[in-house]
Amino acid sequence: MAKHRGRGISAIEYPTGMNQNGDPSQAWIKVKPDGRVDVFSGTADIGNGAKTIQSQIVADTIGVPYDWVTFDNSNTDSSPVCTGTFASRATFVAGNAVLKAARQVREALLEIAGKEMEISPEDLEIEDGKVTVKGVPGEEMDVAEVAGAAAFGHGILVTGTGAQLNPYAAITDPETGEVDGPPHAAISYAACAAEVEVDDETGQVTVLKLTQSYDVGKAINPSLVEGQIQGGAMMGLGLGVLENSYPYYPSVEHRGSQFGSYYAPAPLDMPEMHTIIIENPSADGPYGAKGIGEMANNGQPGAIATAVHDAIGVWITELPITPESVLRALDRKAAGEHEPRREGKMVIFDEDISVNTQSTGITWTP
Amino acid sequence: MSGKAVGARLPRYDGMGHVTGATRFVDDVRAPGTLWAKMFRSPHHHASLRNLDVSAAEAMPGVRAVITWRDVPHLVYGHLEALGIPADEPLLAKDEVRYLGQPIAFVAAEDEETAAAGAEAIRADFEERPAVFDVRRAFNEDAARVHPWGNWYPHFEGEMDRRQIRKGDFAQAAEQADKIISGVYRPAAIEHVPVETQVCLTVPEPDGRLTIHSCTQALYFSMGVVAAHLQTPLNKLKVVGGTVGGGFGGKVDTASDTVTALAAQKTGRPVKWRWTREEEFLVSSTRAPWHMEIIDAVTSDGWILGRKMLTLHDSGAYARFSPYGVTKHSFHHTGAYTIPNLHFDGYVVFTNRVPTTAMRGFGVTSVSFAVETHMSRVARELGMDPYEIRLKNANRINDTSPNRIRYTDPSTVDVLQSIAEAEGAALQPAFAGMSREPRAGDLLPEHLVTQVKTEGH
Repeated sequence: MAKHRGRGISAIEYPTGMNQNGDPSQAWIKVKPDGRVDVFSGTADIGNGAKTIQSQIVADTIGVPYDWVTFDNSNTDSSPVCTGTFASRATFVAGNAVLKAARQVREALLEIAGKEMEISPEDLEIEDGKVTVKGVPGEEMDVAEVAGAAAFGHGILVTGTGAQLNPYAAITDPETGEVDGPPHAAISYAACAAEVEVDDETGQVTVLKLTQSYDVGKAINPSLVEGQIQGGAMMGLGLGVLENSYPYYPSVEHRGSQFGSYYAPAPLDMPEMHTIIIENPSADGPYGAKGIGEMANNGQPGAIATAVHDAIGVWITELPITPESVLRALDRKAAGEHEPRREGKMVIFDEDISVNTQSTGITWTP
Repeated sequence: MSGKAVGARLPRYDGMGHVTGATRFVDDVRAPGTLWAKMFRSPHHHASLRNLDVSAAEAMPGVRAVITWRDVPHLVYGHLEALGIPADEPLLAKDEVRYLGQPIAFVAAEDEETAAAGAEAIRADFEERPAVFDVRRAFNEDAARVHPWGNWYPHFEGEMDRRQIRKGDFAQAAEQADKIISGVYRPAAIEHVPVETQVCLTVPEPDGRLTIHSCTQALYFSMGVVAAHLQTPLNKLKVVGGTVGGGFGGKVDTASDTVTALAAQKTGRPVKWRWTREEEFLVSSTRAPWHMEIIDAVTSDGWILGRKMLTLHDSGAYARFSPYGVTKHSFHHTGAYTIPNLHFDGYVVFTNRVPTTAMRGFGVTSVSFAVETHMSRVARELGMDPYEIRLKNANRINDTSPNRIRYTDPSTVDVLQSIAEAEGAALQPAFAGMSREPRAGDLLPEHLVTQVKTEGH
């Protein structure tokens, strides 16, 4: 009886925004008389950091400190349409909406500042809450003053609106799946290396280490990107070795109905993690960003299944890889039943679970 | 544009509130005179439903309303009707139940205990019907029928009963291949496990509007669903939320808002429905179980010439977002690689299981697992390095996707090289020096010439 170590890798891609697009997000911004900024966006924050990311985008795009920005996504009366927080779309799609709204606010502030300073707006810029004259140090006006002048001097509401909508890509040929345009926004990429230890006496698989590399275009907030990657990795680990709503699928018996009877990943399951962030900017995301939310749990299961094979020489392709499934696989190996069937140039794995061996009505000819 | 905030490691906007417990989630909202609610649910996996009798519950002291299918202005509404996916799921069951726990009647009462007692007092006649749980056997002629039209979704474009991808000629690829390698991949259903269970508080306002405090991941989407069921214009509804205690896809389903709104309308009182942890685990939607079979036609030097794939997606009892998920799945069934000859069939299969729904990576998590495990097997069978076979087949600029869309900036090569470096895996110079740039020379073999597109999308 022994513990065996193994390694495996995977490489994945994932699209940003709803499949086939057609999913709008909109935002509007108003400026208070002291230059503080109120953002109204319909994007729910489900823990992905939408409030933080969108506030960061607005702060830099207008040119004011981050803590001047208030983010309100609290209701459908004050916030415009957002299709929702899913499909890895909040940073990219909704982020583009607030970016466009913030650009309009910036233009409006420059217009007012130009009148106040009697300088053409093209010669002005805004940074860190101050309007400055390009190439003339010391010549400046606080955004707070500009906003005050707008409200009380010029009678102008400083506001901006933004909407992002990538056009719906229709399937023009249902036979081939051909579409009439790109069916998603930017694609993100990732690779994962897993190292596992398999106990051949208990069947326990322990994920020891995950090394992961993600191209996110631009990490608007590296801490939140790492949070997505590490949190997602734990969900991927759960898919790989722990979680199952129906432990004896297809049976519907033995469902776990509480935390004590459902194996969600917990802190003790967390392996050593190494995270690499690559920034290959997208052409049309805010500051070059791409989506990261969902793909973060996609790479681990394949890398883990490969590492388990590397450790004990058996492929287990039904998830999760539980102690029971490992021990049964080791029994098959002991009986010499773990090799694929080879016939001519055909190499056939997993014949026993194929639809062709289940007396199914479906026609599936390899 | 200045660069002070973008790229900075700023703390989470609402993080302090979350870790100190100060953040106000739906369950923290209080409204005077709130009624509590419980659902009477199907005790069977599949049964006809007759003689629904709610009179004992209605007569119970403290019970203020019982909502059944009769109270729903528009009973059957599909989450993706706007995308042409027909509705198949009633808000409350009318004459048939198709999964254990399906909502039937909703009781609003002065307190939670009375609401639970009211739900227990509801009676109905059920005639159990055969149920099907195995996506593979759902196709058998003698399989129990989940829906009158059959056991798999028949409304893909062109009224096709499956999502198809066809590209090139798989049969020819198989002819040319040195090996044809097949495998089956079956990831399980899993739970979303949000810390915040499904919860909704709807408050009827003096002006006749409804304020819906919702845990939805998508305020406007959920507002649209409620408006469709209630047949009401959007100005009569105000959805309040935006701060969600964990969603992961499960809270795109509008599971608690609509019926709570109906009860608030009927009673004129605020109504709150908070699912128990048991309900969250047993009757909330799950990630789907998938059955995927991959057959790759490969050359002995590691080119993937073609892929044939069959996918069965266990949708549970109703379609919800499943046709969308299978379509997305089909668009990504080549993973991060370029494969010229494709033959993909994907089915949305109904079973008498809790309906499955979106979850982080919807449609693609499954195929990433299948494709990558299969890739590892192919590498082993050919005696190739796992990095090098992936790099060789990696998407490059101007390669085309399964839908014939041009990849403009793929990073498969970059992420693999960075992992190889971090892991100390020594790549041969040809692979270490590879880039995303368009194919040329040895990396543009004859079988890939047709996959390169230099302009357009």
